[in-house]
Amino acid sequence: MTTTRVMSLVLAVGATLPSALTAQARPNFSGTWKFASSAPANYPGSNGWGVPSPIVVLAQTAAELTIESGQFGANPMKVVYKLDGSDTIWEAPSSSQSGSTAIVKWRTKASWDGNRLVLYTWNTALNQMRDIISLADGRLTIVRATEQPGPSTNATLTYSRGS
Amino acid sequence: MRRRILWLLTPLILLGFGWLTSAASPQQSGPGAGSARGGVGDTTGPYEVPDPKWPEWAHPYPKPGYIWGSQGGVFAESPNRIYLANRGELKLPEKVPNNFPGNWGFFNQQAATQPIANMVNTIVVVDGNGKLIESWNQWDKLYEWGRGPHQVYISPYDPERHVWVVDDMRHVIFKFTHDGKQLVQTIGVLDEFSDNEDLTRLRRPTMIDWLPDGTFFVADGYGNTRVVKYDRSGKPLLKWGTRGTGPGQFNTPHGIAVGGSPPRVFVSDRGNRRIQVFDVNGTFLDEWPGIAPHSMMLSADEHVWAVDSISDRIVKFDLSGHVEYSFGQFGTRPGYTWAMHQISADQEGNLYIAEVFGGRTQKYRPKPGANPTQLVRGRSLMPMAGGTR
Repeated sequence: MTTTRVMSLVLAVGATLPSALTAQARPNFSGTWKFASSAPANYPGSNGWGVPSPIVVLAQTAAELTIESGQFGANPMKVVYKLDGSDTIWEAPSSSQSGSTAIVKWRTKASWDGNRLVLYTWNTALNQMRDIISLADGRLTIVRATEQPGPSTNATLTYSRGS
Repeated sequence: MRRRILWLLTPLILLGFGWLTSAASPQQSGPGAGSARGGVGDTTGPYEVPDPKWPEWAHPYPKPGYIWGSQGGVFAESPNRIYLANRGELKLPEKVPNNFPGNWGFFNQQAATQPIANMVNTIVVVDGNGKLIESWNQWDKLYEWGRGPHQVYISPYDPERHVWVVDDMRHVIFKFTHDGKQLVQTIGVLDEFSDNEDLTRLRRPTMIDWLPDGTFFVADGYGNTRVVKYDRSGKPLLKWGTRGTGPGQFNTPHGIAVGGSPPRVFVSDRGNRRIQVFDVNGTFLDEWPGIAPHSMMLSADEHVWAVDSISDRIVKFDLSGHVEYSFGQFGTRPGYTWAMHQISADQEGNLYIAEVFGGRTQKYRPKPGANPTQLVRGRSLMPMAGGTR
């Protein structure tokens, strides 16, 4: 092996190692998670938006994270977040408090912040949610902030593995 | 039935105002205090509603079957150039009553929340008759993922007369050229927010006002509990405020006005039902309890005019906090208001009031012989470089 070849190998490894390490460092949130606690206690979300779901099911691939949960409104929903930072936009029917039904536009976005994943969810029924999720000691922590026309809300939610 | 409930609620609102005035009365010790005040039932004060088709004013633009929804803001640059900030158009019911006046509040539903608004014609400019001059439809897309413009302003000290639009739910303030063709600056980071410690990001900002040198102050807001001070270029300089009920603490700082000599910063601490007063570096000076303004403005005669979210009254304070006058009444008929969100006055004395729940912007004209001390006098704008449009 010539010096040139060795140098090329070292450079190639050097170039790929950081991204490989970064990918390794990123956690996989997949699993069924059971609500354990919230701070503040009895955090209600904001008029039902962002209310802690008793069970959340997360499925993560290299490209996306899917969350199945009741935290997005009256009925459980599956919501997809692309992990490359791009938007996901779709439409779905939604019932208002007065009982009327309308087509609501949804948008999600995700970005990594170290080993934490920042998830944004918007819809045109004036709901916003930002979840910062992380894993520690086998628990899933969600730092949640919600926005609706009234005052904002904040909470830290903890989930343990369960079914 | 809903309409009946509304009118049944009116006395309660008036009782609420009674609470407001009694809470404010201990401060009425200055010269003239009390003598010029309006009373309950003084619906339009020194103003009249001049157009028998008044609710149709500035309403003819939505497509058939739709109507303007929540009106977040209004700014009168001149008697014939008035900016209206509309939080989207709402689909009308299949059948509307013959007496439908043209504003969503007629249905006794808050125009701010239901049904889902179609974000079009969000910023329009009209003349004194409500005739459309400009519609900034090129920027409607900015508001799609929020709830539309919160309020609209021009700094009285800006010779270029940039137009500033606060968008609380996208956590930013947009600065446009006077003609709306260019978005020249965004204060905050679109769709991102943080806490009181972060000077880069805002969280649900609500209102803005300026010093003569271009320094400006932002009430921030529904999410954070602080005021942020910026230099004229938009560089954040300092912040003050935490969540709470003590001096310098806030619960939904929703309005801000700057003025006086030396200059002071008047902040509507809406959730705590008071106005707090600071110097320009955030040192607490005073508080005026008993009012929860959606919005405030400093008038040309150096008074603070506040629109109270509890009583639907417009209240005039001197800069020491003495109540000098008030008028206004809750309702959806012409001249009445439902959740005044921004007021503005032109150079001819006309007053414009945007209603977030009533779903309209009304124009009020001074009655003949009106007491000039009871009129809201808008601050003069610096002459525009190159002449006005």
